[in-house]
Amino acid sequence: MSDFDSLAQIVISGDFGGAKTLTQKMIDNGVDPLEIINQGLMAGMNVVGVRFKAGDMYVPEVMMSARAMSTGIELVKPLIADKDMPSAGKVLIGTVKGDLHDIGKKLVVMMMESAGFEIIDLGVDIDPATFVKGVKEHKPQVIGMSALLTTTMLSMKDTVEALKKEGLRDTVKIIIGGAPITQGFADQIGADGYAPDAATATELCRRLIA
Amino acid sequence: MGVGSSHGNGLFFRTLTEKQAEEIHLASCQILEETGMMIYHEEAVELLRQAGALVENGNRVYFPSSLVKKALQSAPSRVTLYNRNGEAALHLEGANVYFGTGSDTMNYLDPFSQERRSWCQEDVANAIKICDSLPNIDFVMSMGLLSDVDPHMINREQYAIMVQNTVKPQVVIAEDGDTLKDIIEMAAGAVGGKERLRQKPLFMVYTEPTSPLQHPKESVDKLLLAAENWVPTNFACGGVAGASVPTTVAGALVQANAEALSGLVIHQLKSPGAPFVYGYGNSPLDMRTMQAVYGTPEAVLFQGGVVDLAHYYNLPSWGYAGCCNAKVCDEQAIVESTMFTVMGALQGCNIMHDVFYMEFGLTGSLELLVISNEVIGRTRRLLKGIDTDKESLGVESIMRVGPGGNFLGDEHTAKHFRANWRPELSDLNSFENWSENGSKTMVDRARDRIKDILETHRPEPVTEEVKERIDTVLREARAKFGAI
Repeated sequence: MSDFDSLAQIVISGDFGGAKTLTQKMIDNGVDPLEIINQGLMAGMNVVGVRFKAGDMYVPEVMMSARAMSTGIELVKPLIADKDMPSAGKVLIGTVKGDLHDIGKKLVVMMMESAGFEIIDLGVDIDPATFVKGVKEHKPQVIGMSALLTTTMLSMKDTVEALKKEGLRDTVKIIIGGAPITQGFADQIGADGYAPDAATATELCRRLIA
Repeated sequence: MGVGSSHGNGLFFRTLTEKQAEEIHLASCQILEETGMMIYHEEAVELLRQAGALVENGNRVYFPSSLVKKALQSAPSRVTLYNRNGEAALHLEGANVYFGTGSDTMNYLDPFSQERRSWCQEDVANAIKICDSLPNIDFVMSMGLLSDVDPHMINREQYAIMVQNTVKPQVVIAEDGDTLKDIIEMAAGAVGGKERLRQKPLFMVYTEPTSPLQHPKESVDKLLLAAENWVPTNFACGGVAGASVPTTVAGALVQANAEALSGLVIHQLKSPGAPFVYGYGNSPLDMRTMQAVYGTPEAVLFQGGVVDLAHYYNLPSWGYAGCCNAKVCDEQAIVESTMFTVMGALQGCNIMHDVFYMEFGLTGSLELLVISNEVIGRTRRLLKGIDTDKESLGVESIMRVGPGGNFLGDEHTAKHFRANWRPELSDLNSFENWSENGSKTMVDRARDRIKDILETHRPEPVTEEVKERIDTVLREARAKFGAI
C-alpha cells in the first residue's frame, strides 16, 4: 500500500493520531503537500462521503474522519499558498438574533467542513448588522442562518433586507434552516434555499455554488 | 423514599437501583461544582452568589453541593393542579400518572382532509374541545402553533383558547416573562383572582435550560416569576443525545439532572417551598438522518431513570408519553406512542405530555390523540394490578361451577365482569360484523369519533365576566404589539 492509500485509510478509520504521524512523515519525505491533500486526505474523505450516503457510515464516524483530515491539513497548510488551497467554497454561518440554540448549526458546520467547505461560524445571537459585516470582511459565497424559535426566525428577513440595502445581496447565496423553518418561509423572505437537515444543507451549498 | 413505583396491589416497577440513582446524583453534583453553568441572568447569578456559589466572569456559576441539598430539602414532595372550577384534578405525587398533549406543533394533520397544514385558531379550539371530552386526557397543552395571529401574541391567544374550551388544567409555554404575566392574569381572571390561583394553580409553566449547561435569560425570567407567584414549574432540558447531551443514557441523565437541579436551586432560593416538578426529556439524535427522534428504547429507559431520580429526591416527576416519529397516523405511530405510554405509566411518571405528537413534535394528529385515549385506558387498568381479596379469588364460584361447567351463567361473572377493561375504539367484532360495519380501521373509527365529538360535545363555558377579563388582557397585549 502506498503512503497515499495508507493516509486515505487512516482518514476513513478516523484515526487522527495516525493522520498526524503519517502526514508529518510524508512532508519530511518531501512529498508534494497538494498531493498529500488530494491523493491522501481528500481521497479518504471522498470514500467516507460515499459510504455515508450508502448508509455504511454514520455521522459520528464521519466527524472522526473529518477530524483526521483536518489534523493532516493543518500540517500541510503552511506549505501551500492560500490561493492553491483546495476548497469547496466559503460559507458564513450563524444563529440569528435572540436565539442561543446552536446544536443544529454546529452539525451543519461539521458536515460542511467534512465536505471540504471553509466555514466562518459567527456563533449565536447574530444580528443583521453582524451578518453584513461578516459578508464584507470574509466575502463568502453562501450565508447560512439558523433559528429554533418561531419568534427569532423573523430576524432572518431583516438580514436579507440589510444585505439588499448594502448592495451585497447579489454577491451571496442565502440558505436558512432550523426546526420552525419551511421552504415556504424561505421563499417568503427571499432566501435562495432551505434545507431540512445538515446533510441536505451540504448538498444545497454544493448546488448553489456550482 | 426509595426508588421505584408501587401501583395497584403488588405491581411494582423500577428502572434504577438506589445505588445507581446515587451514582447519577453524585456525578451531577460534580458537574455542578466543577464545570458549573452559564447563567445569563443577573438576579439569578446574584441570588446564587449570595447563597455561596462561586461566580466567575459574571455568568459562570459553580454550585456547591450543599446548595443542591438545601434546595432538595425545601422543595415540596407533592404538587396539585386544579381544574378551572377549583377542584383538585392532578395530584402529582407517588406513582400517580396523568397524561396530556404537547404544545406548539408546526403542522396540523387535518383529520378530515388529511392535509398537513398550519394551525389556525379554530383548529386549536377544536383540538382542545376533543381533549376536554376524552376521559383519559387529564390536562392540555397548546397543541398547535397559531399561524393566524401576531407572532408575539401566539402564547397568549393559545392560553385564551385553552382556558375557554376546557375545564382541565394546563401546562403552558410562554415566550418570555411578560407573556407569562399575561397568562397569569388570564388564569386569575378565570378562577377568581390571583390569591385563589396561587392556592389552587390551574396551570404549570414549562421552563428549560439550553443544553449543554446554559440558562438563557428568558427561561430564568420565567423560572423566577413562577417561583414568586407559586405557579408550579419544571426546568426541563429537552436533551438531544449525541448533540446537546451525551449519547449514553446514563451520561444524558447526569447532565440533564445537573441542569434540572441548577434550576431547582435558583427556584428555591427565590421562593423556598414553591412548587417544582422535577423532570426532563431526551430525544436522541439519529446518526443517519441528524433528526432528534422521539420514543427510542433508550429515550424510554431514560425516562425510567428520570422518575427513579424523582423518587430518590422525593419530588414529583415530569415526562413524556404517546409521541412518535411517524408522518401519518400509521402502524409506526401506534408502536412508538403506545410503548412510551405503557412504559411511562409503569415507570409512574406523574405528569406526561406530548400525547398526539407526530414527526418528532413537528406535527399533531387528533387520530393519534383519540387512539392514545384508549391506550391510556388499557394502561390504567394494567396499573391496578391483580386484586387477590377473597371475592376476587373466586373459590366459591369455581366450586359452584365445578368440572365441565360454564362461568357465563354464574353470578360471580355478572357481579364482576364490569370491573374489567372494555374498549371504546378497538374492534372486537367477528370479521363478518366488522365488514358489515364498513370494514373500518382503528384510524377510520378515530376519525368518526373526532367528528362525533366536534358535533356533540360542548365544553363547560366560562361566564361572560371571565370572558371579558380574558379579552381585556388580550386587547391590551395586542395594542402593545400593534396587532389587530
